[in-house]
Amino acid sequence: MGALQFLAPWVLLGLLVLPILWWLLRATPPAPTALRFPGVGLLLGLQDAEKMPDRTPIWLLILRLLAVAAAIVAFAKPVVNIENQLQGQGPLLVLMDGGWASAPDWVARITAVENLLETMSRAGRPTVFISLAQPLPAGNEMPFRDARDWVGHVQALAPQPWAPERANMLDWLQGKPDSFETYWLSDGLAHDGTDLATELAARGPLHVLGTDHALQALQPLTLEDGNLLARVIALPGTTDRKITVSAIGKSPDGAEVTLAVVQGILPASETTASLVFELPLELRNRVERVILRGQNSAGAVTLAADGLRRRKVALVGVEGQEGASLILPMHYLRKALEPSVALIEGDLSAMLLSAPDVIILSDVGTLAQGSRAQLLEWVKSGGLLVRFAGPKLAASINTMQDDPLLPVRLRAGGRTLGGALSWETPKELQEFPENSPFFGLPITNDVQVRTQVIAEPAPYLTDRTLALLEDGTPLVTQIHSGNGRVVLFHTTANAEWSNLPLSGLFVQMLERLSISASGVSDKIEPDARMWTPTQVLDGFGVLHTAKSIPPVSGERLSTMPVGADAPAGIYQSGDQRVAVNVLTSEDGLTALNLPLGYTIEPLIDTQMQAYMAWLLLLALGLLMMDILATLWISGKLSNRGALRAASLCLLLGWMPVDKAQAEDTAAIRATAQTVFAYVLTGDAAIDRTSAAGLLGLSAVLHNRTSVEPAAPVAIDIETDELTFYPFLYWPVSEHQADLSPAAILRINRYLAHGGMILFDTRDAHLGRGSGNSSLNGPVLQRLTANLDIPLLAPVAKGHVITRAFYLLKDFPGRWFGPPLWVEIPSHITTEQNFGSTNDGVTPVMIGANDWAAAWAINDLGQPMFPVGRGLSGKRQREMARRFGINLVMYVLTGNYKSDQVHIPALLERLGE
Amino acid sequence: MNTSAHLRRDAEALTGALPALFAVADRLAANVHIGVHGRKHAGTGESFWQYRQAMPGDELARVDWRRSARSDTVYIREQELESAHTVAIWCDNAQSMAYMGKNMRARLLALALSILLSNAGERIALPGTIAGMPRMGTAHLHRITQALSAAVIDPVDYGHAPGFGNIKAARSVFLSDFLGPEKTVFPALKAAAARAGTGCLVQIIDKTEEDFPFDGRIKFESMGGGISFETHRAKALKEAYHERFAARSAALADFAREHGWHYQKHHADGRPQAALLWLYQVIGQQA
Repeated sequence: MGALQFLAPWVLLGLLVLPILWWLLRATPPAPTALRFPGVGLLLGLQDAEKMPDRTPIWLLILRLLAVAAAIVAFAKPVVNIENQLQGQGPLLVLMDGGWASAPDWVARITAVENLLETMSRAGRPTVFISLAQPLPAGNEMPFRDARDWVGHVQALAPQPWAPERANMLDWLQGKPDSFETYWLSDGLAHDGTDLATELAARGPLHVLGTDHALQALQPLTLEDGNLLARVIALPGTTDRKITVSAIGKSPDGAEVTLAVVQGILPASETTASLVFELPLELRNRVERVILRGQNSAGAVTLAADGLRRRKVALVGVEGQEGASLILPMHYLRKALEPSVALIEGDLSAMLLSAPDVIILSDVGTLAQGSRAQLLEWVKSGGLLVRFAGPKLAASINTMQDDPLLPVRLRAGGRTLGGALSWETPKELQEFPENSPFFGLPITNDVQVRTQVIAEPAPYLTDRTLALLEDGTPLVTQIHSGNGRVVLFHTTANAEWSNLPLSGLFVQMLERLSISASGVSDKIEPDARMWTPTQVLDGFGVLHTAKSIPPVSGERLSTMPVGADAPAGIYQSGDQRVAVNVLTSEDGLTALNLPLGYTIEPLIDTQMQAYMAWLLLLALGLLMMDILATLWISGKLSNRGALRAASLCLLLGWMPVDKAQAEDTAAIRATAQTVFAYVLTGDAAIDRTSAAGLLGLSAVLHNRTSVEPAAPVAIDIETDELTFYPFLYWPVSEHQADLSPAAILRINRYLAHGGMILFDTRDAHLGRGSGNSSLNGPVLQRLTANLDIPLLAPVAKGHVITRAFYLLKDFPGRWFGPPLWVEIPSHITTEQNFGSTNDGVTPVMIGANDWAAAWAINDLGQPMFPVGRGLSGKRQREMARRFGINLVMYVLTGNYKSDQVHIPALLERLGE
Repeated sequence: MNTSAHLRRDAEALTGALPALFAVADRLAANVHIGVHGRKHAGTGESFWQYRQAMPGDELARVDWRRSARSDTVYIREQELESAHTVAIWCDNAQSMAYMGKNMRARLLALALSILLSNAGERIALPGTIAGMPRMGTAHLHRITQALSAAVIDPVDYGHAPGFGNIKAARSVFLSDFLGPEKTVFPALKAAAARAGTGCLVQIIDKTEEDFPFDGRIKFESMGGGISFETHRAKALKEAYHERFAARSAALADFAREHGWHYQKHHADGRPQAALLWLYQVIGQQA
């Protein structure tokens, strides 16, 4: 422990007042009680026979002075261990890594930077603030400004989903000869290994700050023995670390759910740990990303795209004679596909039943009428049908009409090139056209096609052609049909008609058709193919739809790590989707290497507050004792009422009040009437808003409906009984601590027995990552991680909530836009384990529209917060109120309203 | 429209506060039995007083022919004079009366007495209020009720006997605690007594004002806050206070005796019937 220092030493001048206080307190007797008494006129002129002591006893005086002194010292903000942090002068550089590794404790970092900038602004030092993950400021000069000017900039920062670009910073510094003092909020990782610290230390004093967050990250997923393998990497630690990874993907109805959770231990000595997801193929193919819990950074999320999907491919063909495997129609297909896909073989009707992703028909001619219809249906619903030509197909060609299971109309017969009686030689392949998924694959000269079926020339032929022979005849054609497509290779799948199946190109082509993504890693060839990002990660590891991000070349993606020009996410090119992750499978975590004599120091503000709080608590305690002592001196402690009041003071100071009786009355009150409750968040402003909001809603209900709720009740989710309340309003605030296991148990029981919770993140999904505010989405995830929450989906059209009282289309609160999430109606889910617990009434609703603020009224019955503007704002508030009414109706009557659709039928039956 | 609105407002005011006080007072008054008191003079009245010989100038209609028929002279029947006297009632409404319901008791006694006197056909005046002029009858009783129920408390600490203006009262009843400063209480009483005829002083007090059950460091304030007195130990002043209180009571009794008045101490939480009976007897006896 270092020397004690004060951040606000001038407050200590207040100690000079203590002697004056001493004199004052000694001279002033305790104040008399005032009493109104008409007989006072008779008292005038009487002399006191005895006098009470009018001097405060010395020990009481000391007690009071101690209390005051403790408060003064507390407000002087005593801090330990910062001796070299806030001294120094001259220009200053505040540096922040700002990459994905800074995300888990982002709020603490931003707060620390703000505090630092405030302090430096008071010291009047010119300051430059730089986040290494952001573009560096242009110009040849260091852009020194007043430290406070940077605060707004800092508040608007969000962690970026790539590593801090320290090498750029080193280059940037080269042109600038300034010397300055540096505060570097480092994430503690070496990243690309740039030795920035030495350069900074050469420019002036260097302080490297960091948090003690145990950083962990995920390498990209791999497939091993058919199982998904997640590798967690971390810095060496001092204790064994418990790690939890979850696989997230879509359920059959399209809602995003956690598909599997695996826990493991990362031993203290190790820096990597592998966790295996043992999932059936159907489930595994749905995995879209894997998240390392407790990290909240882009590095702790790894995305999976086609690379991890082992597709189910059905091979349908005709088996040849036994023993002649090399000339079997399907031998080469089998060999090409076996390593990367789940192959099934059999006759077509059996294959269709097992719902494959791809069906390959190798030289299949005529299909039975029933199978045709089924196959067509399957293609239209999204299947990929790949057909290879062959003698049987050629024999069954119908030149009279289009076959929907063939991309183009074929000519009867086909052609043979380079036979003994022909002048023509076998043809090679042309460069693949640009619109083809094969575009960019290198053509090898040894691929030759000897026989093929010929497409009938037609205007659409060019559009449907994916590969051409050198004379321009199509070799591979494709047609989209419904959601699926049909691809035809105009040659055989064995070496009979061409040697294509013998070449490596064949495998690559199949890959490009995404019949078989390789299954080992997401491969992006370093070529000029452009990849369009469809979804990108933000620094916190949350996936967003990519907007206005230009396509990136394969070369950039495959050779360089992710950065501002190529953020991590899902990229698409043609039909192929690949995942680009923050970390590659070669990456590990290495601790930041600092020059000798430098260590990573903790962030400043936490300790400071600790001391201040303790001293204030001491002062409060002393004042409580003073109350007791004063009562005792004035002889009031014998009085029973006063004694009770005094003990109450003590209890308020130290212990929770005996709550048994209070709970009983609360229970009686809550059960005698309809009472809504809101969950206390620990943030006084939010709690006030919740109370006012439910009060406002109650007023509206009073006016318009027969529901007449009593005043809303605040609920401490950790201790209070929930069963009395039909409905909890739970505003999400980052101040809220994790739930204890007991609380989780109680909430789950509450939800299972007909309770309902409305979670409100209050941020309209905006402001994610802007400074230290509204990061409520992750908080909600954290709070609800262990609750039994069923599959959720945005409210569908016709849901009971949309017509429980008013007819509603959307559910605005103070904000407008984000959807409201409710349990998926049970007839949609295929998963049986959730089922309909509460008769189909959703146990939770999740939204972000800050409804309480829209409902909130003050004492005068006027709205507390503005909603929207003008008439549309009024309408929005009205809609928010209507939503509130519908919500309460839904809570109180369940799906009664949806049962009402049967009323006409019931009436009719009664009439009979 | 406007008139009916006013009427309604007034009616509500009447049915609001009036009946409570009026009903209690009425019930209280019903318990006191009264007899019509003659004035021991010939005059207009109900009861027979004397026969006298008719003299020139008497109206023919006043001749009692039945009596005259028994003798030679003509007689006239005279009734006893039953004239109404004016009774002035002062109900102290100062701040000091707002202590422990003293003013409510004073109003109750005043109203009950008014009802009794009104039934007996006396004229009643409440100097200084809307019922300030001596009148009789139900309408006046209502005015009195209204004046007493208005419940407006004077902002002054202690009340003083009011000036009577040009009212000449035969009897007066002063309902007060008489706890004001000696220098002002008695001169005001004396001044009022000059026009108030004879009457009663009813000192309405609370038990605490007599017992002084206080202890500890207390700053006593008059009800209006105008006078304050601070003591370090109230208990030590108990004896001295008792003495002074007794002295004030004695002074009031002396004042009453000197001026031919009557003095009575009444506890605000005691039974009102006894006080009312006493009051009525005293007023009735003197009348």
